[in-house]
Amino acid sequence: MRRLTDPRLLAIPQLIFLGMFLYGFVAITWSSLHPEGTFTFEIYASFMMQRTYQAILWRTIEVSVWTTAICLLLGYPLAYFLARARNTELLLLLLISPWLVSIVVRTFGWMLLLGNAGVINRGLLELGIISLPVRMMFNTTGVIIGLVHVLLPLMVVCILSVLVKSDRALEEAAGSLGASPVQTFTRVIWPISLPGVYNGMLLVFLVAMGAIVTPILLGGFRQTMVGSQIFQEVFMLFNFPRAAAYAVVLLVVSFVLVIPILLHDRHLRRKRNI
Amino acid sequence: MAGRLKRANSVDLSMATIAVIVLFLLPAPLYFVAWVSFSGEQFLRVPPRSYSLRWYAEFLGSSKWMYALGVSVVLGLVVAVVTTATALFAALAAERMRTASRGWFELLIMLPLLFPAAAMAIAMRAVNDQIGINATFIGVMIAHVVICGPFAYRPIAVNLRALDPATREAAMSLGASPLYTLRRVILPQLKPGLITSLWFSFIISFDEVNVTMFLVGINFTTLPVQTYAHLADSGDPIVAAISVFLILITLLLVIVLQRTVGLKMLVNSEARMDEIRKGK
Repeated sequence: MRRLTDPRLLAIPQLIFLGMFLYGFVAITWSSLHPEGTFTFEIYASFMMQRTYQAILWRTIEVSVWTTAICLLLGYPLAYFLARARNTELLLLLLISPWLVSIVVRTFGWMLLLGNAGVINRGLLELGIISLPVRMMFNTTGVIIGLVHVLLPLMVVCILSVLVKSDRALEEAAGSLGASPVQTFTRVIWPISLPGVYNGMLLVFLVAMGAIVTPILLGGFRQTMVGSQIFQEVFMLFNFPRAAAYAVVLLVVSFVLVIPILLHDRHLRRKRNI
Repeated sequence: MAGRLKRANSVDLSMATIAVIVLFLLPAPLYFVAWVSFSGEQFLRVPPRSYSLRWYAEFLGSSKWMYALGVSVVLGLVVAVVTTATALFAALAAERMRTASRGWFELLIMLPLLFPAAAMAIAMRAVNDQIGINATFIGVMIAHVVICGPFAYRPIAVNLRALDPATREAAMSLGASPLYTLRRVILPQLKPGLITSLWFSFIISFDEVNVTMFLVGINFTTLPVQTYAHLADSGDPIVAAISVFLILITLLLVIVLQRTVGLKMLVNSEARMDEIRKGK
């Protein structure tokens, strides 16, 4: 009876849920290799041969890289500011509230702003700055804008969590030893915050790679990303095995692309432990 | 603030400038959503030519939308309770594991966070198809529990590890059973972690759309998915009215969290996650 009271058995419910999720990945890999019941590599072969498929993958990577870079560029200053601000709770409220609003709602907001008859175009037309609407939706620009807005708070929270913990005495020491503010930043603050930056980049990149709703609504179905393509395969073309193959490719490519971040992060941690 | 600005340097100032602009722009799209929700017209147009509350009336009076709202609320509550219980059990189990196996276990728990939503969606759909629970409440619930898992586990595990083991040992040495110790000594101290976990799971489940849209059907759908579907095929301002409704619910929930455990909890559990991911 002793074994039944082992507290480690409490892990079972969690493991069942995780098991179902991992089983799902086995199932889609199987499905992508058995589109008509028999084993064939044909879907993956067509991915490798045809330009259209590669274009979708490249577009997804391009959009995700831009999204990650812009999120970092805008998110770092915000995290830095929040870490130093006195009234953090109130500022966090400002940051977190829009973050938690459904992505459908936020993407809808951008549709109102970016469309050809949207707020920005109409404003610019009335001011006489442009004579024809600028295309900001149904292309990668629109998707990047939407994804940056969706993912920026995630980046900020990741960086902030490290900056909040960091010891301000180090900066003061750097300053009193004669370092300029810029030097203090590049030599002290930035290196300390790197784990948070990597964490944020990793999460933002992976979420951007797998986004579905934002690419559909702001990008449309003509120039799809992998996420919107998967949606199209399932609901419009009814080709589940190909959707499954896309998912497998997406997963593998995403993980391969984040390896450099993980490696450098580990390298940093090793160096600091010594 | 003034005292700070006096000794603010060039780096601080440029960071603050960008930060303030970004903070100001972040909710900007939502202002426009709120604006058009008061449109009196048949189609979306900014600015609307006439104003009315007709889209709110339409939303609140439609059984189709109220059904989806009901599904989302019930789903969110069930997911919150199930995920938090699962995460609490997992955290208690992890505490008793050896360091190495705990590292692997926690990595496994964090795994769903690292899987792109599109891949997750297809995988969960395949699972649901095979068990025969596609387009059912239980199918969506399972997917949501998986998605919320990492967010629910972190605050509880952080909280559990920060507890003073002496309180537990004292209870046990005074003859309290393990279950009694858990109920009377550990759980009360875990309140902030449990609240954060419940809250996070509810809000993620209530808003989730990327994965959920693959798991719903004609007779069973959630509010965000139905909003998406409506937005994708027609352009009437009811979507704006629903959006305002969703924004208000979210704001209410954020304020509740702020009042109960404080928003710092979100940042702190995020920090812990960083350590967990590195297998510390």
